[in-house]
Amino acid sequence: MLQKEIQREYYNKFVELVVEIAKWLGMYNSLPAIWWFIIASIVAALFFFFIIAVFALIAIYVERKVSGHVQDRLGPMETGWHGILQTLADTIKLFLKEDIIPAAVDRKLFILAPVIVFMTSLAVFVVFPFSEKFVVTELNIGILYVVAISTVVVPGIIMAGWSSNNKWSLFGAMRSAAQIVSYEIPVGLSIVCAVMAAGDLSMQGIVVKQAGGFWNWFIFSNPFTFVAFFIYFLASLAEVNRMPFDIPEAESELVAGYMTEYSGIRWAFFFLAEYGNMLAVSIIAVTLFLGGWQAPFPALEFIPGWLWFLCKTLFLVFVQIWMRWTLPRLRVDQLMYICWKVLTPFAFVCIFGGGLWQVLIK
Amino acid sequence: MQRYFLNIYIGIKTILIGMFITLKHMFTKSVTVQYPHKKLDIPERCRNLLLNKIEDCIGCYQCARACPVYCITMETIKAFEGENLGLTSDGSKKRLWIPVFDIDMAKCCYCGLCTYPCPTKCLIMTDKYEYSTYKRDNLIFHFTNVDAVKAAELREKDHIRKMEKEK
Amino acid sequence: MSGFDIVFLFFAVITIGSAALVVFSKKITHAAFALMFSLFGVAGLYVFLSADFLAAVQIIIYIGGILVLLLFGVLLTVKISSITITTQSTQRIWGAIAGTGLFILVLTIIIRADWFIPEKDPGDIYFTQSRQIGERLMTEYLLPFEIASVLLLAALIGAMFMIRSEDK
Repeated sequence: MLQKEIQREYYNKFVELVVEIAKWLGMYNSLPAIWWFIIASIVAALFFFFIIAVFALIAIYVERKVSGHVQDRLGPMETGWHGILQTLADTIKLFLKEDIIPAAVDRKLFILAPVIVFMTSLAVFVVFPFSEKFVVTELNIGILYVVAISTVVVPGIIMAGWSSNNKWSLFGAMRSAAQIVSYEIPVGLSIVCAVMAAGDLSMQGIVVKQAGGFWNWFIFSNPFTFVAFFIYFLASLAEVNRMPFDIPEAESELVAGYMTEYSGIRWAFFFLAEYGNMLAVSIIAVTLFLGGWQAPFPALEFIPGWLWFLCKTLFLVFVQIWMRWTLPRLRVDQLMYICWKVLTPFAFVCIFGGGLWQVLIK
Repeated sequence: MQRYFLNIYIGIKTILIGMFITLKHMFTKSVTVQYPHKKLDIPERCRNLLLNKIEDCIGCYQCARACPVYCITMETIKAFEGENLGLTSDGSKKRLWIPVFDIDMAKCCYCGLCTYPCPTKCLIMTDKYEYSTYKRDNLIFHFTNVDAVKAAELREKDHIRKMEKEK
Repeated sequence: MSGFDIVFLFFAVITIGSAALVVFSKKITHAAFALMFSLFGVAGLYVFLSADFLAAVQIIIYIGGILVLLLFGVLLTVKISSITITTQSTQRIWGAIAGTGLFILVLTIIIRADWFIPEKDPGDIYFTQSRQIGERLMTEYLLPFEIASVLLLAALIGAMFMIRSEDK
């Protein structure tokens, strides 16, 4: 019942916000109500585009700095204070570059591919609960929606690889597709663990179930979800092609994988999608296992939820970057070994054990 | 079966060890020197840009002959009667005008072989290493102390002198 | 025309338009990618029928599973560029009969079926069915569900047996 109340209360909060602003501007009556829903959707899309862009700017800078310091270097130092404007300068450079479409590519698919890849990484953001109040749309099947939308990236990547008419692109796309399709299984199974612990598919509902201190977070609620968290984290790294699972764009073998023929603004969209996915998988991990916007101690609940959410998410992003600069790239057969022979059986054990725990102990 | 679990255990353990090492390195002092702002002292006997102290040069061609890549181009004209070209700093008498003394640093291989035979020790390798330019011509360093007008005049006079000798 | 109608039309056009592309496209890869938009449009239409669970599963299974398999099949085909697909019509009479028959069949189903019509309250249109689906699968339809899962398991074991290397 609690779940339904929450759903009612936060149902389409973002639309309400847009309507409030429209009323305040005195424009509300000039359009039918449903149009405000569509306008709110567009505003939400632009808002998340902005969030991903800003996150990418910061994350690329942090990535460079972390990689520098891990290797006892300094990273960018010249553009702005300690190189803080470096990514901004790079972005401006990308925007000013010539838009090259090679002569031998399949033109329509070549143009369409980055759009699809970026749209999938943008579309998952609408169901994430950023705080107790801020969810763009509170879907009842939230996590299922996330899993569904993130599968659409595979045809997008194959489209990029095929249309580029380049052997490296095609190899990268095939590897990427094989990798994502394989790793969807441990990801899905470990998500099922958290969903079973929560008894709910809605993202906000899952967070609400983890209220009252860090010992109620699903990562610590039973030993099986604890393992499931690590399975999810590793498998999600593979799903977003991060090191050490970045064989689809292994520079030393495949130039840049499926993005080899892309340049300028189109390449920037692939890059943005990559960082958007990085943020998205961190948010999913935080929401499912680390209590979302909940404070670790009930005494600390005066600190706003979005701040906790931001801290946890950025910590996971940092761990991703940290791992990237620690571990070497896996071989293709090792990649498949880890997926099918290690993560998947362990995830099954987690589901089984988690279910038993749910029935017997709770 | 035992190997399978041992494999997983070793995998997790080594990943944690690696992560710990990189974490430690994240907080150690980095070894980078911020080059244009801060420069390292270079060794005393380093071989970089060549410099000819032309006031000491006696135009003996030793350096040009020693050069393995022929990067030194020079032209000498014997002093005319009644002309005193002065002395070098170690007291030897200068007998030649040197209208051309060019070193093409683009060709130079920094072996330093040209500096050893120099009798007046006027051709030396300095510690200057930042002389990159946008044009290759700028890498040819001119060391003559005779300007173009004077050089043309000298060549003219030399030509006349040769003609007279042939007569 | 209300906004909902416009969004509905948008999904309908995507579905039918890309389905037409699948049929008339000269390149097999274009047809395969057009199928993706068609399947996506169908998922959008499911949402309009307030079947959100079905929409998500449609995307996971058809786009994430079947379409990717199909694309792999297309890309792994040797000499893909030399294959020409015929898009001109052959067997016109039989085709017309089969097409008309199928159309009449679907039309009859559309007219005769007892459709579930959601309440008019816009808050309830998107009320989830996932809980109901789960409960029904575990109670009323448990036997078919289990039979389907055993069938899938058998298929999985069969696939494993087939790809197993011979020398071991």
